[in-house]
Amino acid sequence: MVPTLGRTLILLALLAASAGSIVGFATGARPNAAGWKWARRLAYAFAAFMALANLTMEYALLTHDFSVSYVAHVGSRAVPTWVSIVSLWSSLEGSILFWGLVMGVYVAVATWRKADEHPEYMPYAVGVWLACGAFFSFLLAGPAQPFGTIPNPPLDGPGPNPLLQNHYLMVIHPPFLYSGYVGMTIPFGLACAALLVGRLGNDFIRPLRNFLLTSWIFLTCAIVLGGWWAYEVLGWGGYWAWDPVENASFLPWLTATAALHSALLVERKGVLKGWTVILVLATYLLTILGTFMTRSGVFNSVHSFTQSAIGPTILVFLAAALLFSLVLLALRVDSLGSDGRLETGPSRDVMFLVQNLLFVLFTFTVLLGTVFPLVVEALRGLQMSVGRPYFDKMSVPTGVALLFVMGVGPALPWGRATRQQLRSALLPPLVGAGALAAVGLALGVRNVWTLLALLFGGFTAQVTLSEMFLPVRQRMRTRGEGLAEAFRQAQTRGRRRFGAYVVHAGAVVVIAAIAVSSTMGSSKEIQLNQGQTTTLGAYQLTFVGAEQVSEPHRESVRARVEISKNGRSLGTLYPRMSTYENQREPIGSPAVHTSLTEDLYLSIHNIDGAAGTVGLLVLVNPMVCWIWIATAIMALGGLVALVPPLRGATAAAPAPGASAIAMEGSS
Amino acid sequence: MATSSGAVTATAPRVNRKVLLAGLAIVLPLLAVLVANLGRDPHTVRSPLVGRPAPPFRLVPVGGGTPISLESLHGKPVVINFWATWCVPCFQEHGALVASARFLRDVQFLGIVYEDEEGKTDEFLRERGTSYPSLMDKDGRTAISYGVFGVPETFFIDPEGRIVEKYVGPLDRGTILSLVAQARGGGR
Repeated sequence: MVPTLGRTLILLALLAASAGSIVGFATGARPNAAGWKWARRLAYAFAAFMALANLTMEYALLTHDFSVSYVAHVGSRAVPTWVSIVSLWSSLEGSILFWGLVMGVYVAVATWRKADEHPEYMPYAVGVWLACGAFFSFLLAGPAQPFGTIPNPPLDGPGPNPLLQNHYLMVIHPPFLYSGYVGMTIPFGLACAALLVGRLGNDFIRPLRNFLLTSWIFLTCAIVLGGWWAYEVLGWGGYWAWDPVENASFLPWLTATAALHSALLVERKGVLKGWTVILVLATYLLTILGTFMTRSGVFNSVHSFTQSAIGPTILVFLAAALLFSLVLLALRVDSLGSDGRLETGPSRDVMFLVQNLLFVLFTFTVLLGTVFPLVVEALRGLQMSVGRPYFDKMSVPTGVALLFVMGVGPALPWGRATRQQLRSALLPPLVGAGALAAVGLALGVRNVWTLLALLFGGFTAQVTLSEMFLPVRQRMRTRGEGLAEAFRQAQTRGRRRFGAYVVHAGAVVVIAAIAVSSTMGSSKEIQLNQGQTTTLGAYQLTFVGAEQVSEPHRESVRARVEISKNGRSLGTLYPRMSTYENQREPIGSPAVHTSLTEDLYLSIHNIDGAAGTVGLLVLVNPMVCWIWIATAIMALGGLVALVPPLRGATAAAPAPGASAIAMEGSS
Repeated sequence: MATSSGAVTATAPRVNRKVLLAGLAIVLPLLAVLVANLGRDPHTVRSPLVGRPAPPFRLVPVGGGTPISLESLHGKPVVINFWATWCVPCFQEHGALVASARFLRDVQFLGIVYEDEEGKTDEFLRERGTSYPSLMDKDGRTAISYGVFGVPETFFIDPEGRIVEKYVGPLDRGTILSLVAQARGGGR
């Protein structure tokens, strides 16, 4: 009964998406009101069927209906209710079903928000979105069917992957990731529509940028949440390992970040239209490549789903999407044209270009490192791993260069700069640069790259802060407003600009924190007997004993470790080894004592309650929590930039023609 | 609306060769590599030893006792697991191997200790239990003859003594079952 209902809903979603896609394209080619109405209806229908299919699956998971193949695969009566709910995205088929839901929501919202605007573009966009929707519905209807029928349902199931139950971050990471990944479908559809129409005007670059930014915020959070999860759960003490699946989420982030910047040049100067469209297309294609990497079993990774038959299907879709994009680009990219000319000389314009090239270079570097082992495997039958050294060697200089550009770019004026302007723009921030580097040197930083990161970080931080508050200072000076009033006014009028600089400020902190945490940490591995004490840096650790903890879904042995720093007690940490219901192998969970300056990180290698011994990996990781904090700042900045300027503010604007774009340019 | 799309179709589509060629230069090799690797299990490594007779050895079990040689196991499928106590994935797969060895009575499971001390190994096995012998490979000669380059690596050997499959990384029970089935059948 439930499996049949689920399968029917998926078939209906497939039907709605396929029909809607055809209607969308047809209406785009021959605009007519009836066609557009139907395209919209079918888009909503697709979203509704996907939502219902997801509800059906949740119902089956919560009622432990093991006649549904997916429930029999991941469900269990032994797990808490919240685990049953999030089991929806814990395994392959369910995650694609959830993907369908996210996609439905995005398509419905985008269709609804823009239904009355951009009449020539929107039918094409809906056509492209629903074509992508049709593919994922097809995946669910066939190769990744979650609603298979189990003729003789078992009484209980194995439960989801224990790693999912091990930490709450695993509950929120996938929804963020999917919201970031799937959300890229919307700008993809809009960019394709711009190509199909043959025009990319200022009116259309805005929705494109806004949807791109929405997904970018989610993706940024997802990448860092993934790193945070790895840090808190996997127990090796790091947060990023250049694993193929991590790279899969990083690649579209890089191109999306580049596109967000080049979109600004489209808006301001009418240049780089084709380039921006290429970046948006590449972003979506990289999300599909990422999906393939995570779900085909071709890449060896700690994060990937188990091997599955859906790899070939996704590959066919990837190939089709790649070739469609390529042919569309080749045919139409010239028709987008350009309304202006890019400045040459030293200017903010050129720094935008440099930034874009650096991001694209970064994308190629990571892509090459990810795919290279496969090339070697295919050509010579050798297995090899490119591994961290390559990625570190390539990404450190690129990251430092980006930091540099992030400081110099905003410091420079638009258009051509005079020598005098250059001097007054570039000299003052050297104070910030010197200050931060000096602090680093004083605290013992000797690594050249870390010092460079601090140097450029200080420069960029000063530029960012002064640019962020420039409109406030201007208002205070020219209009005589008080600080609070000027801040509020500048805020409401130049939101995008302010938000963008908040993102930059966050990014500076993230890069500095990564540089410091990866070069300034210390670690040791040690075997301790009960009552024994060890020290690492300023920390003393005493292994008090091992204890058994029973919970409904897991049994754990945990080590009670009392920690103190410079003789002052910091409490007790409990790194543990847990064995889950229905799972054989125990899973270690590290314990972390976090402070603003550094983390003390304990991970169990082995523990013996009877003999009273524990093998511990002890790490001191400086500044790690600033990565999480600064990412939140970045996301917040993105949100600030996304929220449209308040209506009251636009109404109060002196002239209706003075749009937010003009305000942004007022620097 | 009609005029603008009409205007576009009116201009004959000119193909931007540069974009097309540059795109193809990136896209086609990428697709070719992905297609070539499709269906490959990243855990099974194509070893030149697969299909060949397994290199012989004669090694003493952990904690002493009579040496065990591969020759003496002729006629039975054999699973040889190279492992070490310092290797986290080995720790993960240990339970699956012990349970499978108990369950698959007609298959001989053997552990070969890779670059580790006998004391630590003995302690590990006593703590976590085992159901099959682990052998000390003191000078690492057996590991070299099997071309082991990291642990865990597991070899599945048919009753004739030929290597049927080599698996890199931690095993689970399902994989053990299917690879043992291959070893029983003498490979593909």
